[in-house]
Amino acid sequence: MPTPLITLENIGKTYPAPAGDFHALADIDLAIDRGDFVAVVGASGSGKSTLLNLLGGIDRATRGRIVVDGHDLGAASERALTAWRGRGVGIVFQFFQLLPTLTALENVMLPMDFARRGTSPARRDRALALLDRLGVADQADKLPQALSGGQQQRVAVARALANDPPLLLADEPTGNLDSRTAQSLLEGLAGLVRDGLTVVMVTHEPRAIAYATRSVSLADGRIVREERIDA
Amino acid sequence: MLSPRWRKMLRDASLHKARTALAIVAMVVGLAGAGALLASWALVQRVTAQTFLASRPVSATLRVERVDDALLARVRDLPAIAAVRARRVVFATADANGRRTRAQVFALSDWHASGIGRLLPDEGAWPPRDGEIVLERSSLEFSGAALGGTLRLSAGGNDAVALPVAGIVRDVSLPPGWMDHVVYAFATPATLARLRVPATFDEVQFVVRDALDRDAVRRVAVAAKASIEAAGGRVTGIDVPVPGEHAHAAQMDSLALTQGAFAVLTLVVCALLVVNLVAAMLAAQTREIGVMKVLGASPGDIAALYAGFALALGVAASLVALPLAVAIARPYAAMKLDMLNFPLGDTAIPAWALALQFAAGCLLPVAAAALPVARASRMRAADALRDAGIAADGGVVRRRFALPFVGRPLRLSIGNAFRRRARMVLTVLALAAGGAVYLGAANLASGVRASVAHLFAGHRYDASLRLVDDAEAARLEAAAATVPGVAGVQALAKARGVLRHADGLDGDAFALVGLPAESPLLALSVERGRGLGATDGNALVVSRRLLKNEPLIQLDAEVELQIDGKPTRWRVVGVVDAGPQALAYAPAAALDAARGGVLASTLLVKLASSEPAAQLDTILRLRAALDGAGFAVAGSEVMRETRRVFEDHLLMVVQFLGVMAWAMIAIGGIGLASTMSLGVLERTREIGVMRAIGASDRAIMTLVQAEGLVVCALAWLASLALSMPIGYALADAFGRVMFAVPMRAWPNADGAFAWAAMLGVVSIVACAWPARRAVRMPAARALGHA
Repeated sequence: MPTPLITLENIGKTYPAPAGDFHALADIDLAIDRGDFVAVVGASGSGKSTLLNLLGGIDRATRGRIVVDGHDLGAASERALTAWRGRGVGIVFQFFQLLPTLTALENVMLPMDFARRGTSPARRDRALALLDRLGVADQADKLPQALSGGQQQRVAVARALANDPPLLLADEPTGNLDSRTAQSLLEGLAGLVRDGLTVVMVTHEPRAIAYATRSVSLADGRIVREERIDA
Repeated sequence: MLSPRWRKMLRDASLHKARTALAIVAMVVGLAGAGALLASWALVQRVTAQTFLASRPVSATLRVERVDDALLARVRDLPAIAAVRARRVVFATADANGRRTRAQVFALSDWHASGIGRLLPDEGAWPPRDGEIVLERSSLEFSGAALGGTLRLSAGGNDAVALPVAGIVRDVSLPPGWMDHVVYAFATPATLARLRVPATFDEVQFVVRDALDRDAVRRVAVAAKASIEAAGGRVTGIDVPVPGEHAHAAQMDSLALTQGAFAVLTLVVCALLVVNLVAAMLAAQTREIGVMKVLGASPGDIAALYAGFALALGVAASLVALPLAVAIARPYAAMKLDMLNFPLGDTAIPAWALALQFAAGCLLPVAAAALPVARASRMRAADALRDAGIAADGGVVRRRFALPFVGRPLRLSIGNAFRRRARMVLTVLALAAGGAVYLGAANLASGVRASVAHLFAGHRYDASLRLVDDAEAARLEAAAATVPGVAGVQALAKARGVLRHADGLDGDAFALVGLPAESPLLALSVERGRGLGATDGNALVVSRRLLKNEPLIQLDAEVELQIDGKPTRWRVVGVVDAGPQALAYAPAAALDAARGGVLASTLLVKLASSEPAAQLDTILRLRAALDGAGFAVAGSEVMRETRRVFEDHLLMVVQFLGVMAWAMIAIGGIGLASTMSLGVLERTREIGVMRAIGASDRAIMTLVQAEGLVVCALAWLASLALSMPIGYALADAFGRVMFAVPMRAWPNADGAFAWAAMLGVVSIVACAWPARRAVRMPAARALGHA
């Protein structure tokens, strides 16, 4: 049996609050295999985004152990986590979070720049290829403010793939898109999964779940249901 | 090709062009000011070293009855002596085209000696030929004469002799003639004979072989004196200046130190501005920093990005400031050198000074930004992504100001001012620093004026005349009293006093003034001890500067003084403040007894008129009358003019501080403009909401302007507090070098009100652009601002 790409063991996350500690996640045990397209669903405040932040090494669990592609995220220093994030994971945000003073092309080149990957012309070529693959190569020299929401999210996906990570995390990627654009983006993600990428997507849209191979439902910080979705 | 991160940095800077430009302009002002001071100091230091020390300044001067070749040879043979020459100084009156001034004519035994007091020929003939004179460069303009013209010189009460001005020479060992109101001239002994004064030399000057301290030079001088006296000569006095130091070196060093301290303060104010700019940028880009961290940017990548931005600011500011600093430094150095009587010569600023300026300019913003950048770069990605932007609402402050007389808009402005407290504190500090220096300078100016008034309070005469030769006091007073316009006269005896130290060495000569009991024209304002009484014998009242120069002289101490070469013992009974002069007062009868005659050399005159023209007319008639009565007058001084020149001289330092304060206030104002523009930017959405619920242009503009005024009011209060330590420090530094000025515990009211008015103007000007921007933003766009 192959080793899962992601393993979560007894994960809990607690935030201190004036009214007492808030338990965002509790007793999470989960394994995600390579090539999975996992949809994490649940109501607002159920802990979906917290889970995604823990998987991406953006935040740390209060207890438990998270291993992603052989990296124990809890044991890694902040510096090591940063380095791993640069190459080991791509993250797509709900509000795109493209840097407003960089063009689409430059936004995609930026992670390669931080990871010191290849030469400058090579980074440019790869960024153009990614934009082309996501259908926004013609927007390469535009600033984000000149792009539509769908175009911005495609650029954000291209940026997440810049360093060729084995894992892509997407936080409500279709939350700010119209239905047609959302469908197109989800098809794109599904295509990436077919090419071998592992995708974990937080969503509360039922139509998005249909593109996933597996769904994990959260309620009050706990996994309440897990199911495999047939194509 | 630039990598995306550096392109981001450049575009961020260009996105906030106005604010970035303001920061650069502020740094240019600060760097140009500080750089000009550094460059001018470096230039002056180099010229001083090259010119003054290269002139081989005289180590000591011995006054001897008569100097001949054999005597000079004896001194030259002493092992410690490197070079020797003979000199005579003749005090005279110069007259060029009706302009009469004091003059000193120097005759030297060797005009070409390179090993001692080297003179630098400037124009025309050198050395002077018999029957001609050569003028010292710094007194040429003051004399009213010109090269090729003539100057009438009269000395020793003899008729004036017209002498052609054949050349101009520079003597860097002399203070500037224009500053001391003396015409310095060089002439041969034969020319002195034409003036009918003794043509023989009466001083021996020498340079010691090694760079020694003053006491060591004094020991060599005592050895030279012993050698001269062993050969039958008689030495009446020894002068030993501080080795290697120009007459005005202490003042210039103090000026440089004060300037340096304020240059550093100006740079600190610039740094505060950079901290504000970079901190605001980091605050606005916290989420972007979070995103970059998610994309794999290490703390070093983030730090390098923003430190690079700060470095770029520094480089841009330095590239503009450096040529500006050089352009200011050259004329400023020339002015300082003129005050030292040095030629400017080579105007190239030393390379090290330029390199230091450039490095300091580039690194200053990086150092200033280091803390906020380090903090931002260490922020965890999750915290950065959760950042909610401007959070502190200043509510607590606003509620505290919920008083009946404080309206809601003003309360809102007060609250807004406190929303970014760290930024507000830095802005207040930058403005307050400039204000504190302004108030400190104003305090020092009033302190200097008060001290000068105190100094001259006991001078109840309008003019003083100095005689060429000592004269009988009663006859002199009688001759002067008959001149119409003269309301009162007082003849004073003046002698040179020298303190004999326990080791047998002599101290520096100082003026000893014989003061008649209950003089109607000169009253001493005694600070410690007591004044001179009618029954006093050998009692002395000494000036504070003399007390400082000679530690042996203490209140109630008994000291041995050499007066005209004769030893006498005196008791110190009081201390007076005589400004920067080292002098002592003694009862006239006791000084007469010590000198062996009732002789006066100075006449104090009270004039009937207080009109300048009438006073001048009376003085001219008095001089003519005294000349006619056989009392040759070497020079005269109008006290009002003397006081003005003295005060101006002292206030030069204060004026410089004023210029520094203006530069700092300008930088502080730019800081306020930058802070206000950031505040408006950050509250764009709030402004949109206010517009949406009906706030008028005027209401929005008032809100911004009132916030600026709140910051300025705080800066005013802070500057009042800061001005106290700065005022004390300034008064203390001034007192150490110049003379004591009263230290004020509280800024003077005029200065404080003027500063408040200035702050009002600064606030209105600084807030004008941000207020306009707030008003011109459409509500819909403002509401859509992220």
